Amino acid sequence: MKKVSMYTLSTCPWCFKTKKYFADRNIPFNYIDYDLADGATQAKILKELDAAGATGFPFVRIGDEVISGYQPQRFASALKS
Amino acid sequence: MDTEARKKALHYFFDKLVGPLGFKFTPDVELKDFLLEQEVKLEAKHGVPFCPCQPIRNDRARDMKIVCPCIPYHREYFDALKRCWCGLFVHKDVTDPDSLPQLPPKEVGLE
Repeated sequence: MKKVSMYTLSTCPWCFKTKKYFADRNIPFNYIDYDLADGATQAKILKELDAAGATGFPFVRIGDEVISGYQPQRFASALKS
Repeated sequence: MDTEARKKALHYFFDKLVGPLGFKFTPDVELKDFLLEQEVKLEAKHGVPFCPCQPIRNDRARDMKIVCPCIPYHREYFDALKRCWCGLFVHKDVTDPDSLPQLPPKEVGLE
């Protein structure tokens, strides 16, 4: 199974939906809430967002694929490929 | 001011601002209520109602561009999405906000 990790915000409903998407399918994932992280972690997250051209959360990595935004169809295809 | 009162105040204020920009509040009442509540909390913490779905960078110039309603700073992008990033606002002609995908700029041909 591909490794799933994500950066999220504790205030973002799309981040909740993204976590629920994977939890409902019993797919394990790691996440960091940007707004609850320390300064060094926030800087690292921003660097990754900027490099991917993402502007907001959720920011999901499935294997080597990066998906910005709540995109369930993209999540499904990335998990299958 | 309590949270419900401030939510109502932000709703009144935002409604006046986004209409002339061609946007309206999302018809998803539950989503609207949740996002406004988060903005009230963010305003209490930071002094301004930041977008609940974009990062505060501690860079004033950039952070001012995510103060709600941030539509004027991302006009071309949000017009392409027909919604703002967090989904609090949608284009006036939108009746089914769930049909609007949340895509990054490069996936709508920008940046």
